[in-house]
Amino acid sequence: MGLRKLLCTAAMAMSLTTTGALADAHGWSLKDAAKPYKGTTVDVVFLLRPGYEAVEAMLPAFEEETGIKINVIKHPYENALGEQVRDFVSDGDLDIALIDLVWMGNFAENDWIVPVDTIKEKFPDIVDPDLDMEDFFPITLDAFGSWNDTVYGLPFDNYSGLMFYNRCMLEEAGFDGPPETWAELKDTYGPALTKDGKYAYALQSKRNETQSADSFARMLWPFGGSFLDAEFKSNLNSEESQTGLKFRQDLMQYMPDGIVAYDHAETVNGFAQGDVAIITEWSAFYSSVMSPETSKVIDCVEIAPEPSGPAGRKPALGGFSLAVADQADDDEKAAAWLFIQWATSKANAVEYLERGGVSARQSAYEDPALAEKYKFVPALVESWQDGVPEFRPRFAEWPEITEIVQEWGTKMMLEEVTTEEGAKEIGTRMEAVLEDAGYYSGDKPLAQ
Amino acid sequence: MRGQVSRRTIFGFIGPAVIGLAVVGIAPLLYAVWTSLHFFNLTKLKRVEFIGLENYATVLTDEAFWQAMGRTFFLLCTALPLQIALGLGIALVLHKPGLTLVKTLARLSLVLPMATTYAVVGLLGQVMFNQKFGVVNQLMGGADINWIGDTTNAFIMIVFWDVWQWTPFVALVLLAGLTMVPGEVEEAARLETKSWWTVLRHIQLPFLLPGLTAVLILRTADTLKLFDMVFTLTRGGPGAATEFISLMIQRVGFRAFDQGLASAQAIILLIVTIVLAQIYIRIFYKEV
Repeated sequence: MGLRKLLCTAAMAMSLTTTGALADAHGWSLKDAAKPYKGTTVDVVFLLRPGYEAVEAMLPAFEEETGIKINVIKHPYENALGEQVRDFVSDGDLDIALIDLVWMGNFAENDWIVPVDTIKEKFPDIVDPDLDMEDFFPITLDAFGSWNDTVYGLPFDNYSGLMFYNRCMLEEAGFDGPPETWAELKDTYGPALTKDGKYAYALQSKRNETQSADSFARMLWPFGGSFLDAEFKSNLNSEESQTGLKFRQDLMQYMPDGIVAYDHAETVNGFAQGDVAIITEWSAFYSSVMSPETSKVIDCVEIAPEPSGPAGRKPALGGFSLAVADQADDDEKAAAWLFIQWATSKANAVEYLERGGVSARQSAYEDPALAEKYKFVPALVESWQDGVPEFRPRFAEWPEITEIVQEWGTKMMLEEVTTEEGAKEIGTRMEAVLEDAGYYSGDKPLAQ
Repeated sequence: MRGQVSRRTIFGFIGPAVIGLAVVGIAPLLYAVWTSLHFFNLTKLKRVEFIGLENYATVLTDEAFWQAMGRTFFLLCTALPLQIALGLGIALVLHKPGLTLVKTLARLSLVLPMATTYAVVGLLGQVMFNQKFGVVNQLMGGADINWIGDTTNAFIMIVFWDVWQWTPFVALVLLAGLTMVPGEVEEAARLETKSWWTVLRHIQLPFLLPGLTAVLILRTADTLKLFDMVFTLTRGGPGAATEFISLMIQRVGFRAFDQGLASAQAIILLIVTIVLAQIYIRIFYKEV
């Protein structure tokens, strides 16, 4: 434990030194930039996930360097949107918005967040010359941080769907590698790996955002389906979407009973206990399956990109950015930006990664040693090349639509309705929401 | 004049309570009525507008709302009779003479389930009913019952926890009713007949009716607004199997952020609760 602490402290010191050294080359330093805002408190919502714990562990270094206090308010994912919306509509205390990619349209259209360019114009002295926006993976900056070609947030907690597989279970069943396609997973790996109380695959499908994002959408895109067509009408009854949704129903025979009650925790735990051979989960759960405290299968864990479908790989895409809140006063805005810039910086990316986070900085993954140390890195980098920004529509109406998808997507899985009936119901209700919002009358651009 | 109290004194005593009640209870209710008459979505506050009874029309024609309402009443109709039957049984046992210490301990232990926070009950349920590691399946000889992921089992689980938590309340209320029965009347009745049913029906029941009416009203209201336990245990799932009316209102109001529609749902639920309370009072309540 002592050695670990020592290493962490050394890494912290190195990251600050690195920041300082780079800054000095440009005549800019975090310490000097933060001087006018010393003593400012910045309020931010964090989730109960590994990436946030990673930054929390790094926070003392930032606070010591800047004198800015970061007040972290922790919420589980399911509460985070509601808590922030209530704070923003009541002109509350939050100075930073934590934005899931599907909340971006909502936050931007309500003017709850400030564009990065506005911050740069208003506070030129606090912008790190080494900010290097081009260093972010383009899809992360585009999907997690931007709305209508305006960048609001910097990618902070970054995910791509990855296939985690238990090499030992696969080898025991006679496979020398993971499935390349979804069809292969169902037709070959499914029957061979589902026996003696063990399951080939688990698809987290609980009736919350997990059902919409991890389960429903995951089966649409690789099969050529999508939520909406070019005119923003429902595309869920198209042949491609239906193929994907029916595939999900077929695949359920190789999943644990009650999969509709499985959230991330149950799925990751099933894999970590050796009960499930393959899962498709967010990259952020890498540290959970590799921790000896929570996993029995550390030596067997391997990671690959998600399987391909007829339309290609198109893996699940998710992630969060941090943006300066409009309701903050000027000092808080500046302090908030300094924190966001620091937390997502190139200089801190490797340390963030080593502490359990997933950085969106391309430069962080250039070192080949990292790919050896963190098995998910090659698959992650590959997945971000194949990702679909509108994996879930990011417009302001998503909170209403996701509720509909969650309800009827679960009913499909429970076979209370057929995939056609469920898709028709979702489509009708989804179009009513979009109609009401003004997409069909031309009041709103067809942006998602 | 002696004995006459001035209006100012009366107001001094009652006023603070009335004002407190108005601020805490009536003002939010009026605000909810106002909200229910508007398009009021927290994420679209620029579009707030008066829409009359449109939210009410949407609620009354929404199949999902009536399904949730039906599910809630089904829960009420399954859990409440069980609670009354078990509660009455416990009350009658505790009313018997003798074993004073044991009965005192039993009364004290009855308070424990009621004192447990709803959310904690839900979390307990998640652990105890876990298909693989849960104690419930272990107690059933290592059964492999999927409690949380199966629609019927999840409903049964909710009924179980509701009965577990609130049977003691019913028992204590009915026990209080039994202690109201004059000892000499009960003793005389027992000399007349050995049938416990006859004693219960003709001597004890009239004294139990006020308590029973209170139980019906309180438990009905509680069931209609049951939220925390179900939210932490099943979150309304799987599918919509345990999405009771309060969960639906929370979902509409705080996850889809449509406060106008959620307020209309809440007002309709309030009206249903008041009507049911009046029916209970008219049918069951009789002064002894």
